[in-house]
Amino acid sequence: MTVWPGPSASAGHRQVAWLSVGSTQRFYQIDPDGANAPAPAGPLPPAWYDEPVMPASPLAVEAHDLAKTFRSGWLRRRETPALRGASLRVERGAIFGLLGPNGAGKTTLLSILATLLLPDRGSATILGHDVVREAFAIRRRLNMASGNASFVWSLRPAEVLAFYGRLYGLHGRSLRTRVAELLDRFELTPHLKTEYNELSTGLKQRLALAKALLNRPEVLFLDEPTLGLDPDVSIRIRAQIAELRRREGTTIILTTHYMREADELCDRIAFIKGGRILAEGSPDELKRQIRIGDVVALRLDPAAPAGLADLAGVLQVQARGDRIECTVDSAEKRLSEILRWLVEQHVVIRDCQVHEPELEEVFVELAR
Amino acid sequence: MSWRAEPIAAGAGAAEWWMEEWVRLSAFAYRNLIMARRNVFFLFELTFWPGVAMLSHGLLTRFLDLTPQMTAFILVGTVALSAVQVCQLDVAYAVLFDIWSKSMKHQFLTPVRIHHLALGSWVVGVGRGVIVWALMAVIGGRAFGFDFLGAGGMRVALFLLGCFLTALVIGLLVCALVLLWGTRAETSAWAAVNFFVMLSGIYYPVSVLPGWVQTISAGIPLTYFLDGIRAGYGFPPRFAHPFVIGFALSLLYAVLAHWALAAAVTRSRRTGLLLKLSE
Repeated sequence: MTVWPGPSASAGHRQVAWLSVGSTQRFYQIDPDGANAPAPAGPLPPAWYDEPVMPASPLAVEAHDLAKTFRSGWLRRRETPALRGASLRVERGAIFGLLGPNGAGKTTLLSILATLLLPDRGSATILGHDVVREAFAIRRRLNMASGNASFVWSLRPAEVLAFYGRLYGLHGRSLRTRVAELLDRFELTPHLKTEYNELSTGLKQRLALAKALLNRPEVLFLDEPTLGLDPDVSIRIRAQIAELRRREGTTIILTTHYMREADELCDRIAFIKGGRILAEGSPDELKRQIRIGDVVALRLDPAAPAGLADLAGVLQVQARGDRIECTVDSAEKRLSEILRWLVEQHVVIRDCQVHEPELEEVFVELAR
Repeated sequence: MSWRAEPIAAGAGAAEWWMEEWVRLSAFAYRNLIMARRNVFFLFELTFWPGVAMLSHGLLTRFLDLTPQMTAFILVGTVALSAVQVCQLDVAYAVLFDIWSKSMKHQFLTPVRIHHLALGSWVVGVGRGVIVWALMAVIGGRAFGFDFLGAGGMRVALFLLGCFLTALVIGLLVCALVLLWGTRAETSAWAAVNFFVMLSGIYYPVSVLPGWVQTISAGIPLTYFLDGIRAGYGFPPRFAHPFVIGFALSLLYAVLAHWALAAAVTRSRRTGLLLKLSE
């Protein structure tokens, strides 16, 4: 997006502007006199984000060297390694994404953390409890929703919620209130008379999410929560996931194939392939990590000043119509240097846009 | 109360603990009741097959011109088979519903224990078993002059309780088999009962079975419950204190079957079958 003056266009002698980049709404100070660092508070959070109150222990999930091999067959024994030593740490209140191609081990990892699968090797804790030895204790505090979730076909939405609500110990008025609240929140109330098997895919998915919130989980696992949904339904579900973290501070670990979903929702992302975590970091860190480079697109007068390509960190300069595109190692580091140099050269800056690499490009790079 | 509070607070007193146990247990009863109410097939289980069994066996006793005592011997077996079958199916449904709808993992994701699953569904099975018994007793009385209560109210109550405990054991074993072998073991839900009742002298005294089979029969609780109720219709009991032995064996097997199901759940978590049954 374009550079525009911020709410306070100058701070002392510093010229400050706000710059949003791509769809991620990152904000930078553009300061010809200083480094082009992110705003002091870091990237401004999206509108839905409201810092949750963090409990004392910072980690919600900690996994170390998890391995799992599935075995099948009687006479001809087949072994399928699904996880080959995965480790990760997820802070409380974070949304953590697991990305990877089909068969990468995402669901296996999620299932071990959710106590549905026993690892062959390694250890993991959820909220400080071991997922193998203290599984029963932590099941009260976690929940899970899958993209292909299924419930008993003849039950109606309220009955599905009432059944699982009882399994979480809810009863009487608290059960009725919670069920009604979730039916309302996920707009399932008009479908009270419809049996599960007759619900649309989107409604089934919303019911799965409602079920996953029955016990107000502190840790929520979402396995491809928007799989196969229409874009409008996906957007609503993503909004509900974001809302969940904002309102309740729930730690969310989700697997997804949709890069945009991960980029939009996740604080940190792990790329998993062949049962191993290949890279982990914030979406921005991952984009930088594989060094695809950022593009600074400029509309200048004069259009193509000589010497721009020689600046430090500029990898490439290309003319595209009335603009020039400078590929730089890091826009965060180089933007102010470029702008300062242009000002010194008395070049008029008519427009400036910064494009970071899409997460999809990172995914393709890592999945190779 | 904190917004994040447990549904029933951890560390709460004994009353709360019992309440939580009851609530979890009632979940399975709640689901089985809804399914029983909504599905015509369940009505068939409850009325059609027991009714057909009682009528066909009653007519057979007429055709064979059996004495009232011998008629009681046969029809008691008919009632036992139907009551055990209906009750054990309810226990097995605790797992089968999730197998059929591929929703197994959600149940075991919750803080549920085997006894919640078993007893919750068993309670509904007992209710349905009592209905089956009452229906068959009425048909037997009206059509064939068979007075089921002629054996004595307490004896009948003990017999029915014994049948339902046997059903609990068989139901738990069926659940364990399904979690060990997946949908391939589904048919065991219907086959298992017939196998056990055959060995326990359902329409005949166990003395007619080959010697080594009789040894197996002696290990089946239903053998003793049938022996105990038939004593009430004038047949000399084969075993001393049949109800005591029957209940002792039932409780032992219930504990073992509970353990077997718990082990099967753990194994399914290890092999990944729990997830496969949810896809």
